[in-house]
Amino acid sequence: MVALPALALALLLATPAAAFTTHDMLGREVTLAAPPARIVSLVPSVTEILYALKAEDMLVGVTDFCDFPAEARRKPSVGGMVAPSLEAVAALRPDLIVATTEGTREDTFTQLTRLGIPVYLVAVHRVAEVKALIVGLGGLTGRQAAAAAIVAQLEQRIGAVTRAVGALERPRVLYVLWPEPLIVPGRDTIVTELIQLAGGHSLTANDPDSWPRYSLEAAVAGRPEVILLANHGAGTGAIAEEKWRRLSDLPAVKAGRLRSINGDLLHRYGPRVADGLEQLARAIHPEAFR
Amino acid sequence: MSTEMLLELERVSFAYPARVSRRAFALSEVSLRLAAGEMVGVIGPNSSGKTTLIRLLTRVLEPATGEIRLEGVPVGRLARTDLARRVGVVPQSAPAECPFNVGELVLMGRYPHGPGRYFESRQDHAAACTAMEATGVLELADLPLDHLSGGERQRAFIARALAQEPRLLVLDEPTAHLDLRYQVEVASLLRRLNRERGLAILLVSHDLNLAGEVCDRLMLLAEGRAVATGPPEAVLEESLLSSVFGCDVVVDKVEPGRRPLVRLSWRA
Amino acid sequence: MSPAKRLALVLAVLTAALLVAAAAALFVGSAAISPRAVLNALAGRASPESVERVVTLSIRLPRIVVAVLAGGALAVAGVAFQALTRNPLAEPSVLGVTSGAAFGVVIGQSVGLGWTFLEAAGLTAFAFAGALLAAGLVYLIAAIGRELSIQTLLLAGVIVGIFFSAAITVIISLLDLNRLGGVIHWLLGNLAPIPPRALGVFALCAAVGFWLVARRARELNLMALGEETALLLGVGAERLKLTIFVGAALLTASVVAFAGPIGFVGLIVPHALRMLLGSDNRLLVPASLVSGGIFLLLADTLARNVVAPAELSVGVITSLCGAPFFVYLLRTRYRANL
Repeated sequence: MVALPALALALLLATPAAAFTTHDMLGREVTLAAPPARIVSLVPSVTEILYALKAEDMLVGVTDFCDFPAEARRKPSVGGMVAPSLEAVAALRPDLIVATTEGTREDTFTQLTRLGIPVYLVAVHRVAEVKALIVGLGGLTGRQAAAAAIVAQLEQRIGAVTRAVGALERPRVLYVLWPEPLIVPGRDTIVTELIQLAGGHSLTANDPDSWPRYSLEAAVAGRPEVILLANHGAGTGAIAEEKWRRLSDLPAVKAGRLRSINGDLLHRYGPRVADGLEQLARAIHPEAFR
Repeated sequence: MSTEMLLELERVSFAYPARVSRRAFALSEVSLRLAAGEMVGVIGPNSSGKTTLIRLLTRVLEPATGEIRLEGVPVGRLARTDLARRVGVVPQSAPAECPFNVGELVLMGRYPHGPGRYFESRQDHAAACTAMEATGVLELADLPLDHLSGGERQRAFIARALAQEPRLLVLDEPTAHLDLRYQVEVASLLRRLNRERGLAILLVSHDLNLAGEVCDRLMLLAEGRAVATGPPEAVLEESLLSSVFGCDVVVDKVEPGRRPLVRLSWRA
Repeated sequence: MSPAKRLALVLAVLTAALLVAAAAALFVGSAAISPRAVLNALAGRASPESVERVVTLSIRLPRIVVAVLAGGALAVAGVAFQALTRNPLAEPSVLGVTSGAAFGVVIGQSVGLGWTFLEAAGLTAFAFAGALLAAGLVYLIAAIGRELSIQTLLLAGVIVGIFFSAAITVIISLLDLNRLGGVIHWLLGNLAPIPPRALGVFALCAAVGFWLVARRARELNLMALGEETALLLGVGAERLKLTIFVGAALLTASVVAFAGPIGFVGLIVPHALRMLLGSDNRLLVPASLVSGGIFLLLADTLARNVVAPAELSVGVITSLCGAPFFVYLLRTRYRANL
């Protein structure tokens, strides 16, 4: 929780009548003159959720990486996630910007705040936070009912998966976000929780960093029984599969449980998280889904 | 003849730090007097202390013992710009890459006369022209230094020193590395400056004949000591030179009125 | 033409060019705004909430000022270092100050000062601290007693620079993935608009640094003859070296602190000017101030428009454009050996 009295004060002074006040995911108070009608999303996951909420009419600007659903690509882009163009953002005359503490540059946040545009910050590390984000965005856009429906469906699908794999033995899973340098999910990421829900046990679950870098040795020291190689975006091939196949002594490779999966479903935190979970469960416990 | 000495070195000693030089003293108890209008030459083998002498005189170094006085005032008490207005030094070598042209170089000699000015004054430009005229480089004023011959470059540096309007001109090996004809050129220039303008000159040279030819008096340095001071006929003496330079030397006694000529004996 | 008149003429021409460049920069950008709208905004006639007002006055104008200040400061620092070290390859980053400041910022960003307003000021303070540390180290290594040895200065600068670069590499390799993008983005050198108060501090630091160097321009000329000869002409060489070192370090540190590490400007602009104006530092120093501003302003304008709405780093543009330009100048004008 980050309390920002100065920021809140500045925003309060800037808007004569605080007609719309809410709290973002960091607990900051975000105040607008009226409910937002022109939103710029600097977070691909948020873009997905807004489309799922059917609130895309309120979305006036996205980043180059907002590629789902396909219609999102037709929205005006303000540049990359790390350093979007301030001018492009200002030209769209937004009344709210959604950014993330994991991805957007702090300097960008400072610049946008200086321009007097309210910024709604998100940070998602758990499934519960995904639900909170959907609800929060539903509140922002006045689509509370749609949000509740999406959350309900999410819970239903998650429940179905956990029931299917609940009784099964948990294999040791190594999830490879990126092969070189070898990046794996640590304690504070959605992927770790999803692996757990999918009936596996992530070998790297106890690392305090979110996305630590491991040596190959450390990664295979736990003798993973399932190795999941994330590709990034549909249509891109399995990354470095050959390299892993050569480690033929690993139980995972011996048993042929070396799989590539679509990382977009797991690294973004929108409604497709359920798709990602189902994909994970199928990869870890194919026998449960025949 | 003025009785006040322009330059006086009184029993000056200096030692470089032990790790720089093997010898204890670079200069040991050296005394020298130079009157206004005199031309004195300092000769001796390498590392006899000739360059150290210049550095002490111009306050690049401080003497360990003894005193150096310029017009009666100890050199240490003069501000650097003061000193630069009285003593003009032509160093042994120019830096490898000097990106300026002759005119700009000579104007630099005017710095001590107006260190606070950003640009030189009209008087500065006039003085520089006078200096360039005296050394015959006025027509070369716009040429870059790199485009000059050895002799021309040396004359340009002399002009720069002259632009300081000094009472004393000090030159460190002015004819080293010069073609013969430029050696003659520079030597006659120096003689002219001395005779026609009354400019006192202190000349350090390893060329014994040049020094003997143009200077009124010579000082022979050996291992930091002044072993002989006097007119060239007295200092350029065979046995003295042979022992100091460590080789056989023959001095031709030519007719009176002409300076002695030193020859090396090239024995097999 | 007297040198004073020549200087005045050169500065007049350069200032005119700068104003033209600034005007051009004001009119182009990711947000499509007509020139008339821009002029309205400048004149104060645009409505307070309008796009053109925000973009022109809060985004483009401050960024232009940063570019001009940073470019000018880097160019002057370049002239100073080249004169001080008598080495044509000397560049502000040669003193290790750039790496030290970058190290300070990387430390600050990786520590993650929290998402508050103070952070921007905090990062600048970290940058200055890093720069001071580097400059101090270089001075300590190069100074023997009270004398500053130029040869050792160059070497010390290189060593300190390498040390801090290595330190930066270590930190990057340990950085959390989420912070990595931001840090690398900063390291590439990107100009961003900064608030008026910070701009004022930046301008003040640059002015002090410029003044320290400019008033010694004549002595810098004399140093080209060699330190000993300069001494013989009455120049207080030790004091001069220290003054120039401090001035150049201050210029470099403030640029890195407020604008990021931007290379090449301090190398190219002085050289290009030398080919056009000669080697007199009394002309070069003031001319570099304005020319450096023009150069970086043009580079930044290109950087933020060539792949709009995305932006290239200005450091990329200075490197890519600077090198061929330099080659061209070398071949057409500078026929003597370098």
